[in-house]
Amino acid sequence: MPNKMTGPDDDVLESYIQADASLRAGLFKSFIRALGSIFGKPEYDSASWARRAISCDLDYFSLHKLRKFLPPAAGAPIRLAVLGGPTTLQLVEVLKIFLDAEGVAVEFYEGEYGLFRQEILSPDSKLDRFNPQIIFLATSHRDLSRVPKTGMNAAQAAATAKAELADWFKLWETAKTRWGATVIQNTFDVPPWSSLGHFSGRCAGSRENYISRMNCLFEDSAPMHVVLHDLRALINETNGQEWFDPRFYLEAKMPCGPKCLIVYAHSVMTLVRALRGRSKKVLVLDLDNTIWGGVVGDLGPGGLVLGQGSAEGEAYLAFQEYLKSLHARGIVLAVCSKNDEDKAKEPFRTRDDMALKLEHIACFVANWQDKATNLREIASRLDVGLDSLVLVDDNPAERALVRQLAPEVSVPDFPEDPAGYARALARQRYFETVSFTEEDGRRTDYYAQNVLRKELASRSEDISSFLASLNMVARIQPVSDLNIERAVQLINKSNQFNLTTRRYNLEEVRRIAGDPSWSTVTISLKDNHGDSGLISVLLLHQEGPNLDIDTWLMSCRVLQRGVEQFALKHIVGVARDRGCTEVVGRYSPTEKNGMVKELLPRLGFLADGQDGATTRWRFPVSAAWNSPHVHINLEVSR
Amino acid sequence: MSDIRAELQDVFRSVFDDEEIVLKDEMTAADISEWDSLHHISLIISVEGVFGIRLGTAEIAQLKQPGQNIGTFIQMLEKKVKAK
Repeated sequence: MPNKMTGPDDDVLESYIQADASLRAGLFKSFIRALGSIFGKPEYDSASWARRAISCDLDYFSLHKLRKFLPPAAGAPIRLAVLGGPTTLQLVEVLKIFLDAEGVAVEFYEGEYGLFRQEILSPDSKLDRFNPQIIFLATSHRDLSRVPKTGMNAAQAAATAKAELADWFKLWETAKTRWGATVIQNTFDVPPWSSLGHFSGRCAGSRENYISRMNCLFEDSAPMHVVLHDLRALINETNGQEWFDPRFYLEAKMPCGPKCLIVYAHSVMTLVRALRGRSKKVLVLDLDNTIWGGVVGDLGPGGLVLGQGSAEGEAYLAFQEYLKSLHARGIVLAVCSKNDEDKAKEPFRTRDDMALKLEHIACFVANWQDKATNLREIASRLDVGLDSLVLVDDNPAERALVRQLAPEVSVPDFPEDPAGYARALARQRYFETVSFTEEDGRRTDYYAQNVLRKELASRSEDISSFLASLNMVARIQPVSDLNIERAVQLINKSNQFNLTTRRYNLEEVRRIAGDPSWSTVTISLKDNHGDSGLISVLLLHQEGPNLDIDTWLMSCRVLQRGVEQFALKHIVGVARDRGCTEVVGRYSPTEKNGMVKELLPRLGFLADGQDGATTRWRFPVSAAWNSPHVHINLEVSR
Repeated sequence: MSDIRAELQDVFRSVFDDEEIVLKDEMTAADISEWDSLHHISLIISVEGVFGIRLGTAEIAQLKQPGQNIGTFIQMLEKKVKAK
């Protein structure tokens, strides 16, 4: 809790926050009462308690109660238009609660019920004046406009679907060309009241066949600026009976039953969070009774419950397989276990039936310190914020401790039965992504290599000889079709090493890259230990004699390798080539980018005043400038 | 005051964000100026959640019908909760 006094009922508040959902329900009333008693008193931080209490495990009534204690998220808001087929009133209400709790500031626009096509296509709509950055098309199966009559033949059905797809493309393209907006597009839910039963799928003219076909067409052909939000996954996760509860559609045109509404809104929040680059990055695993059954220190590797032979052992193995699949898509795995390190590693080394191997673990911490301290250590070794971590731990006491001492870490509840672990983790949607590049699949390697480099650095006599020993080679390229996806991803998710934290979507970056008054720069880096891939993006804008650093960001995994100096050298080169006399830089502070506060002065920029909280800096491009010595060689490409 | 009435009052206060609300039998939707369709659904969702019951399509619409009021709504709730 930042700089706030402790309150009279802190123990009541704290015990609610620390408890798992099953216990929290019983504590809710006293929690709300305690929150009410400190609400509105500036010396206490009721907002922070409310924020920590929000979770997708709460029901609608509890969320509604918490809402009034939850102030809107601070910061520059993103303009989000929610356009429904069904009504979106209740959905938006809950979505706003989740976004506020996440600290994602959003300015909402809600379309009129059922008018999404007109609002997007007519040139003078209210939506046009709102100028959305994200459009969420909260549609359902009822918003398909051409559902065939049962009995239509296959060719006719295919032609109908093609025409339908063209309608949706028109909406998506308009969103892109008119506002440069990203679209979050629902797939279609398939209602259970089918006329042909199991035969539906075989009949090209059935509604079910048609809806499935449209979903496939969306998945195969929607352009990159369209992010699909899969309603079928939500129904899988909740309950078809609840989802298709028709009473609420009949009474209020709601998209689904109210119990599903929470999961729905939470799920949309995780996509907005992903678009803002705030998805979680690291999964920190406990070992005993989390990835295997039993305590390795007592039983030894051979005595653990794991693998074929028992149902419970298979459940642990299945959970390991799930974790491995997360690793394969780029989620970094770490271990945080109360164990002797040697003993903790033994099952990884000696048991062939472990799905997880040591090579999957980027950072392995096993000791007898408290977990909150160890989690901070893991975050620092991996160069990520504490709020990028998710802890997987079977022990409710450990979960409570971490919730108290490291509140930034996400700590989901887990059931006692390991068979439920994967589902308990997946339903939180910590790791949503809006793209998947080749680099993502390799990302876990970068983190593991980095931990190696850090160990090496701590052994080297001086930093300069360490850097020289790495044999770093950098490649500089402008933004092009080859790398734009990765560049946009970095622009939208780099928080720490980011001078201005300006977010641009794919279309905006494409426009900038094609504009001669801009220079776009991407830097990729490799060394002895591996290829770090594309790790830095700069967007430079010429304004007369000045070259303005609109955006300068870098992945934290290449901190303290001299990439900053290397980049500056290149910036000055660009300025010279353009005949500029000064490079102008800016630092706009956010909650997360404190690490670059001193970047520009450290590189030799001169103070040039302030605009509000933003500090301005300038760097004269004089011929006599001695470029700093860096240990990075430029790879000459083509 | 019966438990159901007290719980329902709590639901009303939360949904309409007004701690002053006191439920009386003769009250109708027209007596609470905030009572629009959004609040109506919030109310229904909350009532279903808090009392653990399921209201039928007609019962959901009941509170807005002529001749119906909080009194008749509470009667209906009591019957449903007892039948659980």
